[in-house]
Amino acid sequence: MKKKKELKISRRTVMKGALAAGAMMSAGSIPSKLFAGEYNIPDPLKPLPTTGGNMRWIDSGDMKGVFWKKLFPEYAASRGITIEYDGLPWKEINKIVPIAIRNGTVHDVFQLPLGMDPGVAVAEGWVQPWDDYIENIDEWLAAFPSGVYLPGVNQFNGKTYGTCLTANKRTGTCLLYSEKYMSEAGYDPQAGRMTYSEIRDAAKKITKNGNGQYYGWIIGGNQVNRWEDVVHTFGQVGGAHSGRGGFTNRHINFQNGKFQIASDQYMEAVELLLQLKSDGSAFPGVMSMNAPQARALMPQGAAGMIFQGPWCIGVWGRDAPDWKYGIASEPVPDGKEAQPLYIAEGGSNTFWLSANSTMGPFAGDLIRFMGTEQGQIYWAQTVGAADPAVNPDAVAKAGLTGPSAQALAMFAKNILVGPNPIVRNKDVGVVAAKSRVPDPSLALVIQGLYTGQLKGVEAQLKDCNQRYEDALDKAVEEARADGANVTRDDWVFPNWDVYSNYGAEKYQEL
Amino acid sequence: MHKKPLSKQIYDARWCYLFVLPCSILTGMFVIYPIGMSWYFSLLDWTGFTKEAKFIGLQNYYEAVSDKFFWDAFIRSFIFMFGTVPVKIVLGFIIAVFLNNQVLKLAPFFRTVIFMPVVTAIAIIGIVMTFVFSPFNGPANKFLMSINLTSAPIDFLGNPDTVLPTVMGVYVWKWLGITMMYWLAALQTVPQDVYDAAKIDGAEGFRLWIHIILPIVLPFAIVIILVEAVGALNVFPLIETMTAGGPFFSSEVMEVYIFRTAFVTDSGTMPRLGYACAAGVFWGVAVLFITVLQGLWMRRTRRI
Repeated sequence: MKKKKELKISRRTVMKGALAAGAMMSAGSIPSKLFAGEYNIPDPLKPLPTTGGNMRWIDSGDMKGVFWKKLFPEYAASRGITIEYDGLPWKEINKIVPIAIRNGTVHDVFQLPLGMDPGVAVAEGWVQPWDDYIENIDEWLAAFPSGVYLPGVNQFNGKTYGTCLTANKRTGTCLLYSEKYMSEAGYDPQAGRMTYSEIRDAAKKITKNGNGQYYGWIIGGNQVNRWEDVVHTFGQVGGAHSGRGGFTNRHINFQNGKFQIASDQYMEAVELLLQLKSDGSAFPGVMSMNAPQARALMPQGAAGMIFQGPWCIGVWGRDAPDWKYGIASEPVPDGKEAQPLYIAEGGSNTFWLSANSTMGPFAGDLIRFMGTEQGQIYWAQTVGAADPAVNPDAVAKAGLTGPSAQALAMFAKNILVGPNPIVRNKDVGVVAAKSRVPDPSLALVIQGLYTGQLKGVEAQLKDCNQRYEDALDKAVEEARADGANVTRDDWVFPNWDVYSNYGAEKYQEL
Repeated sequence: MHKKPLSKQIYDARWCYLFVLPCSILTGMFVIYPIGMSWYFSLLDWTGFTKEAKFIGLQNYYEAVSDKFFWDAFIRSFIFMFGTVPVKIVLGFIIAVFLNNQVLKLAPFFRTVIFMPVVTAIAIIGIVMTFVFSPFNGPANKFLMSINLTSAPIDFLGNPDTVLPTVMGVYVWKWLGITMMYWLAALQTVPQDVYDAAKIDGAEGFRLWIHIILPIVLPFAIVIILVEAVGALNVFPLIETMTAGGPFFSSEVMEVYIFRTAFVTDSGTMPRLGYACAAGVFWGVAVLFITVLQGLWMRRTRRI
């Protein structure tokens, strides 16, 4: 009997093939389509270096990380490089990046710590412009919606130092709820925005139905920014119009340039949190868990409601695909109409290229691709509403459905672009660099009120407001002493119509 | 007698100096230099990673001693020390006395069990303990409720009244093994004939330990207390992983305070390395002062 011929591939043959493929890739001579992956990565617009190398990338992870982990291996293979990705929580980014900058080991592409003025990063020489690495950058920038790339925000000295692939049109305090528990409590948040009383009542009923097995509401209480986020956004919904972003924007009413931490709307929001606790509706142990831990307990049936961001959608979809939940807008104080929320101009998730990086050509090539419509569609299809792609056409073509599509529609309806002092006067950046959030911050004050260590909501918020005013005055004073041309009037936008977007023409009117 | 010139003395001892040199260089690089720089940084208004650093003299020190949260953290560190060291010393001694008994066949087993947390990574212990003390399905609460000691779960790490005692308890458990080993080493220096003589003289049980053994091991106790006290003032990793100083500063000790001001905080403003260094220098001097006091106490006790 004739022996069937077998295909034998020795280890040496495989290694030879791999080496040959590697050589071809490093020569940049093979079209990327040869790599049949999930993504159709186009060829670079100009030949990339043939030296290969390892590109290190750090960002705040979450759904971004899910996408990068799928795309990076394919991109790296197509360009003959390796990519080392670190997706970490902001708390870690805030610690790691400054240390890495200090000792010269920062990643090739990184995000700046929260609150750090990008102008400082440019002035200190930590970052280099993308202009030399993104082919036809002017044409590329023109494809983005207006207001994403702005001098003083991500462009300095006529060059683009920060690249944004995502929009900041989202909130982190949506009402996310268990459909089952909410329905058993007799509420349907999809029928309309819930009021504070309804939230409180629903939480009570869910807790009663849970009989010790589950509770009405949960929050990651040891992650202090969650308290501030909830009160800030709820306050805005209640009518305390203010900016979002860092210390020099957040909580400031741009109609008069003053902090409004002691406003009635903020007090009402704090009172709601305290009532949820005093009603016994809060999950026991919220003070000893962070936001991801609280989020993870929702699909386990531990609580009926959480005020969190759209990033939960992707995580729950992956970890608990069968769990039924809903997403709705933030609640409104009783008897009031919900007011708009505001974002500053510019995108989100700004990526900076380390001044020491030698991987600029690859980073630029990748960022350029991600800014194209196809790249944005890929992004939107994986990341969804968690970090919405900045290109609205791409989002529309991504075919999103379910909670992601619902969240994006909700953000489009609820959020307007508000004024941004740094767009008006770039010296506001100097103030940002000088500013220090006073101790205890609003986040900690709310935490202290919740734990009962601080007493008297009104008195505490008034004190806190005054501390913030003093801190901003001091930072302005220090900036002026250093030669910055800035005053507190730069925070006053008398032509701000709180019901419409604040665009370039409005800045020109000032 | 004619004294040799200094250069000649150094030359004669050149090999000694040569052998001391590597250690001196390393000490200089990793101990002396950082201490010196932290003193210098404490006089600057500096974020720690910008070129701009303004000399402001003692302003950081003035601000630190005027800050309520600085003093709260300062006092809390000592509460931690006074709350844990006596417990560890007494418990460690009692356990060492039992495990020093040659008749106890399972002594090596118990020694290993008690020592095991010492060799476990502190960050791992911190994280695991957050689950152990969780009010939601945490084993600590389940146990307390199963024996009807409490009807509702206790938020050990989220309640300002319970958080510090809980972390202190974990600290004692984590490091009890090392205190026990110190005591065992001390007890094993007591010669067997002392026990025999005491027995002949009729000293047994409690009286044997109080009147015979304790006076012998007392000098060791001073050293153990000194080591334990300094150790209890260095609890950053445990507190950072278990509570990060919260809720609302309830468990913020000095090291966590220094860390919070040295790095970008959750609040999102620039760090203040200069200020953190001032707080650190102040704290270091305070710890040094306590160490000197204990040293003087030790010397006095030896004289007695």
